[in-house]
Amino acid sequence: MRILIAGGGEVGFALARELSRDQEVFVIDHSDEARERFAGLDVQFVAGSATSAEVLERARAADADLMVACTGHDEVNLVACALAKSLGLSRTICFVSDDGFLTAGGSGESIREHFGIERFVWPEAQLADDIERIIAAPGAIDAEVFAGGRIRLLEYRLQEGSPLTAGPVSTLRVPHGALIVAVKQGGTFHIPRGDTRLGAGDKIIVMGTPEALRDLEPQIEPSSAGGTRRQLVTIIGGGDVGFRLAQRLDAASNVEVRVIEKDRRRGEQLAASLRRALVLNGDGTDLELLEAEGIGRSDVLVSVVDNDERNLLASLLARQLGVRKVIARVSRPANLRLFELVGIDVALSPRGAAVASVIHEVQAGRANLLAVLEEGQATVVELVVPAEYQPRALAELKMPPQSIVGAILRRNQVIIPRGPDQVRPHDRLLVFATSESAASIRDFFAPGR
Amino acid sequence: MRVPVVIHLIGTILRLFGLTLLPPAAVALLYAERSDAAAFLVSGVAAAAAGQLMVRASRAPGEDLRRVEGLAVVAGAWVLAAHAGALPYVWAGMPPVDALFESMSGLTTTGATVIRDFGEFGRGMFFWRSLTQWLGGMGVIALFIAVLPRLGIAGRQLFFAEAPGPTDEKLTPRIRKTAAALWTVYAGLTALEAIALVAAGLPLYDSVCHALTTLGAGGFSPHPQSLMGYRNPAAEWIVTGFMFLAGANFALHYRMLRGETHVFRRDEEFRVYLVLTVAATVLVAILLGPAAGTIVDRVRVASFQVLSILTTTGYASADFNLWNDQSRAVLVALMFVGGCAGSAAGGPKVVRQILVARYSLLELRRTLHPRGVLPVKLGGRVVPEDVMREVLVFFLLYLAVFAVCTVVVVALGADLVTGFTAAIATLGNIGPGLNVVGPMGHYGDFHPVSKVVLTAAMWVGRLEVLTVLALLPPEVWRSAQWAGAGAHVPRAPAPAGGRLS
Repeated sequence: MRILIAGGGEVGFALARELSRDQEVFVIDHSDEARERFAGLDVQFVAGSATSAEVLERARAADADLMVACTGHDEVNLVACALAKSLGLSRTICFVSDDGFLTAGGSGESIREHFGIERFVWPEAQLADDIERIIAAPGAIDAEVFAGGRIRLLEYRLQEGSPLTAGPVSTLRVPHGALIVAVKQGGTFHIPRGDTRLGAGDKIIVMGTPEALRDLEPQIEPSSAGGTRRQLVTIIGGGDVGFRLAQRLDAASNVEVRVIEKDRRRGEQLAASLRRALVLNGDGTDLELLEAEGIGRSDVLVSVVDNDERNLLASLLARQLGVRKVIARVSRPANLRLFELVGIDVALSPRGAAVASVIHEVQAGRANLLAVLEEGQATVVELVVPAEYQPRALAELKMPPQSIVGAILRRNQVIIPRGPDQVRPHDRLLVFATSESAASIRDFFAPGR
Repeated sequence: MRVPVVIHLIGTILRLFGLTLLPPAAVALLYAERSDAAAFLVSGVAAAAAGQLMVRASRAPGEDLRRVEGLAVVAGAWVLAAHAGALPYVWAGMPPVDALFESMSGLTTTGATVIRDFGEFGRGMFFWRSLTQWLGGMGVIALFIAVLPRLGIAGRQLFFAEAPGPTDEKLTPRIRKTAAALWTVYAGLTALEAIALVAAGLPLYDSVCHALTTLGAGGFSPHPQSLMGYRNPAAEWIVTGFMFLAGANFALHYRMLRGETHVFRRDEEFRVYLVLTVAATVLVAILLGPAAGTIVDRVRVASFQVLSILTTTGYASADFNLWNDQSRAVLVALMFVGGCAGSAAGGPKVVRQILVARYSLLELRRTLHPRGVLPVKLGGRVVPEDVMREVLVFFLLYLAVFAVCTVVVVALGADLVTGFTAAIATLGNIGPGLNVVGPMGHYGDFHPVSKVVLTAAMWVGRLEVLTVLALLPPEVWRSAQWAGAGAHVPRAPAPAGGRLS
């Protein structure tokens, strides 16, 4: 596959590094620094602007299969995609950082068609959406929804004394309709077997119906009082992510939102567009302010300033004040582990997540990629069972190691399967796989196997 | 401030105002009241001549009109128009102070009267009384902006000086078209009410007069006992409905007619206005007690009186001066509210009450969150700081003027309740108050100085205080240019009044 990356910034570099391992990659950027940065990678660097037809021709855009436009400017990305399209390129992915034009004329559909863009990637919005989902599931540190909300995937960190740490997985009383699909112990994911023992501090990923997961909650966090209570959420930083998150939470009736924003004028803008949320003018690392406003009473604190150090400090202060769940934004993926090490419940990197989703889209081929977890360490893909397939029990299906069928969608039915459950033609399987088995799972039902 | 420019524009308006004395002359002729017809003709010619003289003696504005000049033009034009409108009353035998009071009460849509005996005056006079309220309701100057293309840019300044609501909403980009659109809706609703009242059994003359004074939120009635005198429940309901419309923003009516059906639901001020109307009606209906009749009767009487006061119309379908104190207290409280901005109603306006209430609540919240960013919002939009300041200053000045008027009137011999309600009823352009100035009473027995003070209160209240009080600081007049400094701007001769009618 031949891939064109317009923009040699942080995102472009991360993409190129991953994709250049087994694809042919062209990178377009006009700066000399970018050229030096890419010198170490096995890619073709084209100097110039991505909005120039001449440059695109030099990068042989007409023969490329995919273009990813990820310069720092939305306008440049849009024009580059449109231009490449007119030169005959078939697929384009466009990074954006603003929804001014996306929302125009209903969900950006017309704009997308107009510029011939296959997909918009908006890292900040994705991050805000991820955080919102996590907040909506008390106790969980990551959350995804599938099949229109009939299946959910939640990630938890096990507490000391949780009933789930009592014995091997096969002896645990997990509610029917919920399935522990993965455990993260010591930095790596693996699929639990019957004799796997879970311990405090482990992260587990559970797939299941919303009802079953609700029943599971008391086992994971015995202290949680159920999800119907009013939640108090404090957001530090009213930038793109903070604002979008505040807007989404503001619309929910059972969430009370506070936004702490340092810049006075930005604060006024936020207060103007948020209906109920309280905007506070101040610094999220100002202990006096945090104490005066009783931030310690928050159920969730989200620190999404565009600065890792400040996020870390604010999160640690919040922890000290007694906030139950702390979510922080991490700009440099390298810092992710540090954040989790010092006890931040959830550390998320907007660019990391966006890069991972693009890479998986490139690699996924025909399989339908539903979710990317933990910066690409695990994925959820959807596989359709071919028509000529002989029905058989799930246990007899020779799935690759380090993958597990988390749910079966049969017409309108949702089945959270156990060993004896049947797999039939036309079933849609939601398969959870770690990164090492991701490649083999994609072609599982492909002809020739 | 360039005084010649101000005089020129006032002259232009006055000249045109002379024309408005023609319809009552025709009505007087119709009822064979020759002397009155002559009064209207002579007064009209006098006003037009005075206006023409002012135009001749001064100079036209160039392209620009300064804000303070706009205020001066509006304030001045209203005083002179009231004087011109008083001429027919003087002719008919009223003392000059009374005549000016009656004329100002008409133009400002107050509806307070000094007439003791309604039999002394002819139908032409009562038609003129009603017509002044209709003209004043939507604004004399707005009318002239609609028909006078030459006001141009000056029109914009004048329009907002005459109706200085906290929002300067325009329906169309051009102020002249906006004024024309509002006047069209206004005239249409008036015609509709007149037809409805005729259908309900009122005589044609009375129907027209009441339609004119309902839409203007004025309250003059050709009947000495106001609406109560007709004993016609259907007519009362019709008037109640149209009072409600007159008290709502005409811009909303216009947009509704243009097909924007949701405007009423979306408008925050309108929603509060509606809730206030219903709540006050229910409250009064309960407080009146079973002695006041059946539930239906009580609701009818309560809603009529509540809307009459809230929209500052000032009709009465019952002598609420005889009500119990609880019910009267509700009405007095409503006197301090007024209708919606952009309506024909007077008073402080619902929108200002909303803003002040929100501002106060936010200040209370600020004690809990000293670092909170807490903007005042209306309809989801942030109200700018300077608008908020103007609203607060408005209330302070409004109450100050009210207090001064009360003290003067009481000091000159009125009892406290009379003085208190007379002051708010004139400043708020309502009309009737309580006791001596109750709905069946009149202002005729006040001390002449009191009458002059209350006349001024009507004027100040109609122009929403700031327009007039902004002209008081001495520095406005110190820096004024009195002579026609600079060249007289040559231009085409002014159109004669007749060409416009």
